[in-house]
This record gives sequence, structure tokens and C-alpha cells, in this order.
Amino acid sequence: MSDADDATLEWRRVHPVTPLVRGWTVIAVLLVVVGQRTLDGLPAGQNLLEGDRWWQILLGILAVGLVGLGFSALAWRMTTYAIDDETVHLRSGVLFRQQRRARLDRLQAVDVVQPLLARFFGLAELRLEVAGGADSGVKLGFLKESEAASLRAELLARAAGLKNAARGAAGVADAEQVEPGDASPVGTDTADRRVATDLGVAVEAPEQPVTQVLPGRLIGSLVLSGATVGLVLGVLAIAGVIIGTRQVGVLFSALPAVLGFGGFLFQRFASSYGFRSAISPDGIRLRHGLLETRSQTIPPGRVQAVRLRQSPFWRRAGWWRVDVNVAGYGLSSGAESTSVLLPVGTRDEALAALWLVLPDLGVPDARAVLDEALSGAGEGAHFVTSPRRVRVLDPLAWRRNGFVVSPRALLLRSGRLYRTLVVVPHERTQSLGLEQGPLQRRLRVATFAVHSTPGPVTPKAAHLDDAVVADLLATQAARAHDARAHAGPELWMRRDEVPRGVPVVEDAT
Amino acid sequence: MSEHPASSAMPSGPFDPAGIVWSRVSPRLATARLLSAGIALAVVVVVAGVLLVVVDHWWPWVLVALVVIDAVWTAVVVPRQVRAIGYAERDDDLLIRKGILFRTLVVVPYGRMQYVDVQAGPLARRMRIAQIQLHTASASTDATIDGLEPAEAERLRDRLASRGEARLAGL
Repeated sequence: MSDADDATLEWRRVHPVTPLVRGWTVIAVLLVVVGQRTLDGLPAGQNLLEGDRWWQILLGILAVGLVGLGFSALAWRMTTYAIDDETVHLRSGVLFRQQRRARLDRLQAVDVVQPLLARFFGLAELRLEVAGGADSGVKLGFLKESEAASLRAELLARAAGLKNAARGAAGVADAEQVEPGDASPVGTDTADRRVATDLGVAVEAPEQPVTQVLPGRLIGSLVLSGATVGLVLGVLAIAGVIIGTRQVGVLFSALPAVLGFGGFLFQRFASSYGFRSAISPDGIRLRHGLLETRSQTIPPGRVQAVRLRQSPFWRRAGWWRVDVNVAGYGLSSGAESTSVLLPVGTRDEALAALWLVLPDLGVPDARAVLDEALSGAGEGAHFVTSPRRVRVLDPLAWRRNGFVVSPRALLLRSGRLYRTLVVVPHERTQSLGLEQGPLQRRLRVATFAVHSTPGPVTPKAAHLDDAVVADLLATQAARAHDARAHAGPELWMRRDEVPRGVPVVEDAT
Repeated sequence: MSEHPASSAMPSGPFDPAGIVWSRVSPRLATARLLSAGIALAVVVVVAGVLLVVVDHWWPWVLVALVVIDAVWTAVVVPRQVRAIGYAERDDDLLIRKGILFRTLVVVPYGRMQYVDVQAGPLARRMRIAQIQLHTASASTDATIDGLEPAEAERLRDRLASRGEARLAGL
């Protein structure tokens, strides 16, 4: 893009308080370090705060804080962003300048993230995920809460194809019209690109709540988890050792492990607290977080694979956890908490979460198929399972291993202790794989894998009969090809016309 | 060990879909792999030799014995592994087959390809072979073909790129 093009863009800065919100971590780390030194005492055994040295230290902290703040302020000054119809532009960096453009038709998800301190200031960070590998997303932060919300609505409307400049950039967009949106009553655009400045034009698409996780159940689900069992066992073991040896010193050496389990549990609790999911024309909306709140929007067709999973501790309660693969989430930090569609829920709620991704399985008795998928075992009415001869190889789960092909998706079932169901929509198949080890070969079975984007879900069906798997590989490749050809456009609101970014696939077969 | 040579004498099982004619890679890949393995082993032999001189004890011979076993094993297995590599271009996807003991087969649709890499290190260049790798949005897609003639690698790269463009789809 030339400079002239750049000049037409309206470059804006993020909120001026940003350096303070970002810079406080430096000060916090410094305080912790000094605090530790003071408590532990210096190697010589003297206290830092004794005598008249305390003000030197205070000055040091102040100086480092000021330098940090100054640098953050400089970074803030150098960070600008702009939006046009197809792209988000971001310029940043003090010494090493960086320019980043993210294409809106490749948008995979939009998150509004509010760390604790930002919440005090009423600020939020907008994170756009595009599927471009690790650290490829665009972070716009911090913005005022209202500004972040309207910017998100604006970006989603543009990514959906609801908004177009009347004068297309390359003269391609002339034929495109603003669809009379059923969701967003978008004001008619004035014919120039300065529309980027008119924030708040796009109205947020209305949403319908689907599921809510109450704190009681969340705590229950965490109590009934492997980490809690580990924690309890650890505490018991420590208590036993202390009683046995009558030495309290063991406590300190075992503390990190206990803290680790405890930290994991708290992290889970804090990230899933107040979890709510909803559906809107712009896709799935998720809200959660205790200290740092996060509000996610995953546009339609962006979920690559879904996994429903039940640990043995949850079986009595009938709870399930639902994770998803979304391109972009998998490689960014904190994927553990962003790729969750439902942290804990009943079977119905889990199926509702699946429904968010895939409203229609394309089979007449979907409920029966799903029941068999979740709790069935062995050759049933729908599932094709591993042959009996693999029980030497997989004595526990061989009756659960299996798959069923629906017109819309591939359902893969596995796990005896951790019951698991993975659903991959046909059009989201990246590539297919087959593996066979020497033992599998002797038993005439092979493992079938669907390769999905990075994330918590790895779709796989272990130990299927040779003939079955050969047939599955051939037909699934064809099905994925057909589904891709008929899949909706990337710009999800533009259903009727042929979108520019996605050429119609001519059938070559 | 029930392994079969990769000669297409037994066209059966899921790893040999019907109607597929596998293209083979250059046998020079075996030479290249044996050479690089030989260099690594030579280093170990030198170390063992030095040790034998310095410590004057029997145990460095264990190292030498291990090297000999490894060398024999490599010499037996590598040529067979190279013969087992096969790839085939279908109308909509590329098939890559590998392995003797642990066999894998990957089906990569052209429309799912994000980019193609062609690589050749110094040894590979001297042996006149190149490696081509297809990348999809999935990290678990392991679609690498090693030991292609440079001309074939270029032809394949251009062909895959053009086919990918014609069938390009979103994620």
C-alpha cells in the first residue's frame, strides 16, 4: 500500500492511561523483589531497610518506575491504529517499528479483555485473532469500554460483509450491495472511507443467552477433579510424613507442589467464573472471568472442531466439559481458557454448546446418535467401532473407539475413563492421516486422524478395521471436498452473492 | 518383524488405495541419509579411539560395538525406508505414504494448502535432491517429501501452488 493510501486512513491512538495500566507490572515485580530481599535479609544478614539506606532504595524504585513509565508513554505515542473496509492497520514499536495489517475476512475471533487494573479505569483491550501462526493477532489496547464495544460491533459488521464502501478499492466491490441485514440495522454509508471514524454506526447484533455456569457448580466441578485429588493426596502425604518424622521442615520442601495444584485450581476457577454463552448473528459469544474478564465473539464457521469430555469424577453428576479448536486461539497465550465453550454443564447444556457450533447434524434422530456417542459402548445402531480383536491392544477403551458419519460432520468417540466425543464439521477438515504400528498391522487395524488447527482437540479414531478405515479415508476426503465447495462464505452475512475472497470451487472430479 | 519391501507386489490394505500409482523418490536420498549417519558415527568412532588411547581400559570397546551395530542397522533400514516413501497426485489432493514398521499415510487437499516449502541443504544439493513440504492450517499435517529430483521438486511446487490457488478455500 502506498503512502497516499495510508494518508486516507484515519490513524488513532489508544487511551492515554494505557502506559500506566501496562507499566504497573514492572513496578509490581520490583516491589516483590525488594520485599523478598527485605524479608529474607541480605547475605550478610543485615536488613535493607535499616539505617539511612531505605531512601536510596525508594529512589531506585522511583527511578526505575519513571523510566518504565517513560518508555511505556513513548510506546503509547508510537502506537496508532486505523480501520478500513477490509483491513485493520496497527503501527507500533519505538526502536523497531512494526506495521501490521489484518484482513477482516480472515478474522477468526474478537475478544474484549479487561485485566483487573484496566477494569478500575474502565478500559478494555480488543484482541483480533487471525489464523497466522503464533502471535499473529492484533491487540488494540487499551480503549474505553464503550469504545471497545462499538469498535467490536463495527469490525464484526465489516467482517460479516454488511458494510462496504460504495467505491471499492480496486473497483471490484461495485456490484456489492449492503444486505438489508436481519441483525444489524446499519446506517447507509456515506460514500467515502472516512466512515471508519464514525464509530457507533454499527449496532451490536442482538444475542440470545444459551448457558450460564453458576459458581456453585463451578466449585463442585473443581472439587471433583484430578487436581483436587492430587491436592488432597499431597496434603495427606505431607501430614503423614510430618507425623511420622516429627519434623516440620518437610512442609517447606513440599509446599511448591501443593501451591502448584492450588494455583491450577484457582486459575481454572478465576477464568471460568461467571461463564455465560450466547448466540447472535455474529456468532458465538462467551463471557467469563473473575479478576480478568474476557468477552469473546467467534463468528459462524470459525470453530474447527468440538470436544465433549467427561472425567470419571464427573460421571455421577453427569457433567461434561466442551472445548473447541479455533484457528488463532490455539497458538496465542492463555489458550487454556479461551478455547472453552462450556467449563462444566449437564449433558443437555453440553449438547446445547455443540448446537451452537453445529445446529444440525443432518441425521433424523440426532439425539439418539449423540446419546450413543456420549455414553454408548460397543457396536450400536449408529457407531462403527473397533473390532473385538484389538482388545489386547486397548483392553479398556476398545468398545468406545468408534465413529459415525453424518451428512454435516464426522463424530469420533473414544475413552472409557475419560469419555470423549469429538465432532469435526466436514468443511473444516484440513487434511487426513492414517497411522499403523507393527502390532496394529498384525491385528489388521489402523488409526485414523483428522488434522485440525492447533488447539485442545485432536480428532482421532484409534484401531479401526483395515477395510473400514480404507473406505473412511476415501469417502471422507470426498465428503470434505464437497462440503468445502458448498460451505458458506467467509463473510458470513453475505450468503446470497458470491464473495470476493472465496472463489467458487469448480468441481474437477 | 513382519515387514514387506515397498515393492507394489501387495496392493492391499488401507495404505494402498485402489487406483493409485505411487511416485518414488530418488534412491540418492538413501545415499545422502547414509552419508550423514556415517559422519555422525565417524565422530563417535573418533571419540572412542581417543578414549581407547587415553584410558587404556576395555570399556570404550562397548562404544565401538554400539557404533558397529547402529551402522549395520542403518545400512539395512535406510534404503528400505527410502524405497517405502511414495507420493501421488490425485485430482483434489496429494497423498504421501511413508514408513515400513510404523506406516503413515497423509491426504492433503490442494484447497487446504497454505504454503509450500522447498529446501535443500549442502549435502542434499551435492546429491542433487530437494525436500518439499506442504503446510496447511493444521500443525499436525506432516506432509513432507524428501529426496525429490530438483526439477521434480520445482514442478511439484508450481503445480501444487497453482492447484491450491484454483481450489483455495477459507479455513
